[in-house]
Amino acid sequence: MALFPGCLVLQRMPQYEKAAKRVLRELYISAASIAHAACCGAPLESFTDKWLYLAAYNLSLAERMGFPVLTICGNCTNTLLRAEVALRDPSLRLVVNERLDEIGLHFEGGTRVIHLVQVLSEQLEGMRDKVRVELSLKVALTHPCQAFRPHEVLGFDDPLQPQAMRSIVELTGAEVVPYDAEYDCCGSTLYLVNEQLGLEAGQRKLSSAAGADVLVDACGNCQLLLERFQGLMNEGRAESKMPVLTLPQLVGLAMGIDPAELGVGPVMAGKLLGSSP
Amino acid sequence: MTVGGLDSLLEDCTQCGLCREVCIVERLGAHSITSFLLGEDNYSSWLCSSCWRCQEVCPQGVDIHAIMVEKRREEDPPVAHEANLRRVLESGYALPIGKGINELRAIHGLDAVQLVPEKWVEILLRAQAGQELGG
Ligand code: SF4
Ligand code: SF4
Repeated sequence: MALFPGCLVLQRMPQYEKAAKRVLRELYISAASIAHAACCGAPLESFTDKWLYLAAYNLSLAERMGFPVLTICGNCTNTLLRAEVALRDPSLRLVVNERLDEIGLHFEGGTRVIHLVQVLSEQLEGMRDKVRVELSLKVALTHPCQAFRPHEVLGFDDPLQPQAMRSIVELTGAEVVPYDAEYDCCGSTLYLVNEQLGLEAGQRKLSSAAGADVLVDACGNCQLLLERFQGLMNEGRAESKMPVLTLPQLVGLAMGIDPAELGVGPVMAGKLLGSSP
Repeated sequence: MTVGGLDSLLEDCTQCGLCREVCIVERLGAHSITSFLLGEDNYSSWLCSSCWRCQEVCPQGVDIHAIMVEKRREEDPPVAHEANLRRVLESGYALPIGKGINELRAIHGLDAVQLVPEKWVEILLRAQAGQELGG
């Protein structure tokens, strides 16, 4: 597959990309980088239809490789797939291809864009065979909104209460604990407009999930707000910090992969695996 | 990109209010595009967490996302969104991703990436007379 990490993961979360690649390797799925990939186009959409040029550009690079696009961020998934749908319109495709032609590329359409959650949920059998360590953890899940909605475009799982992450995490032996705000948004995009509101959304989620040992997400935006910005909530009280991992990091630990190869620090790994670091 | 603009997008809305009921922004006490749909002026189209829940629950199949985009293009953008826009137009990325990216990746044992050439970004996103996407 052709891995599209997206700007946020590329710039700030090599750990997430690394864990995703490592877990996929364990499942014999290759995830090659896309040479010259750019931003998916999402930040342009609120200003101009030119977001389609950028989305089509990225898709055309993957087309040339002949691989489906593997995404690990909700926002990129949603944007690239909506572009695929919009560009089924032949007149739009023509306009876009005039531009792509200038740099020697062509958009044909039909590339699959699949979020990591979906990829893993199609590999349950393979994953079951790879679990080496039964995790005795209570796990709260947060589902990447934009990888499931609109269902009309994403076409995968229950769009309002997705279950795919649950079935993946249950393979690790961990107990998935439901909580009130499980299906609510993390607040990351909101943070861009109003920091206070974004943090409040995140705080609500974290307090609601407080009974769990670890919160697991599958999107750079969720990881940014719920993990990186957690210190900005709660008046920064460190003792109440909730560990937040990305899905492949948790799955990788259950596969017995060295935490360092998953971008999980020794203290966190010790805490989650129940041994001293 | 929408044919017929805002009016035709709003045509099927019955103002049932379901979208606003599920909106996280509204639950936090602020007002999103869902308040606009219910005829109120005290809202911001930018106050949104991009969760797509409103559109998913709409019984009328209203394209709330498209409405939000139309309204955003009329309203002043928040600073952070404008900064992201500027960076994408200049570099092809929403965040500052420089040549140093591959040193960081090497530390994490990741392969080197090739960034989009600036020249290509210019070609892809420049304004041009003739046939092009609007906005
Ligand atoms: S749910 Fe749909 S029909 Fe109901 S108010 Fe919202 S946009 Fe209008
Ligand atoms: S997409 Fe935006 S407006 Fe719609 S429910 Fe989510 S936060 Fe509210």
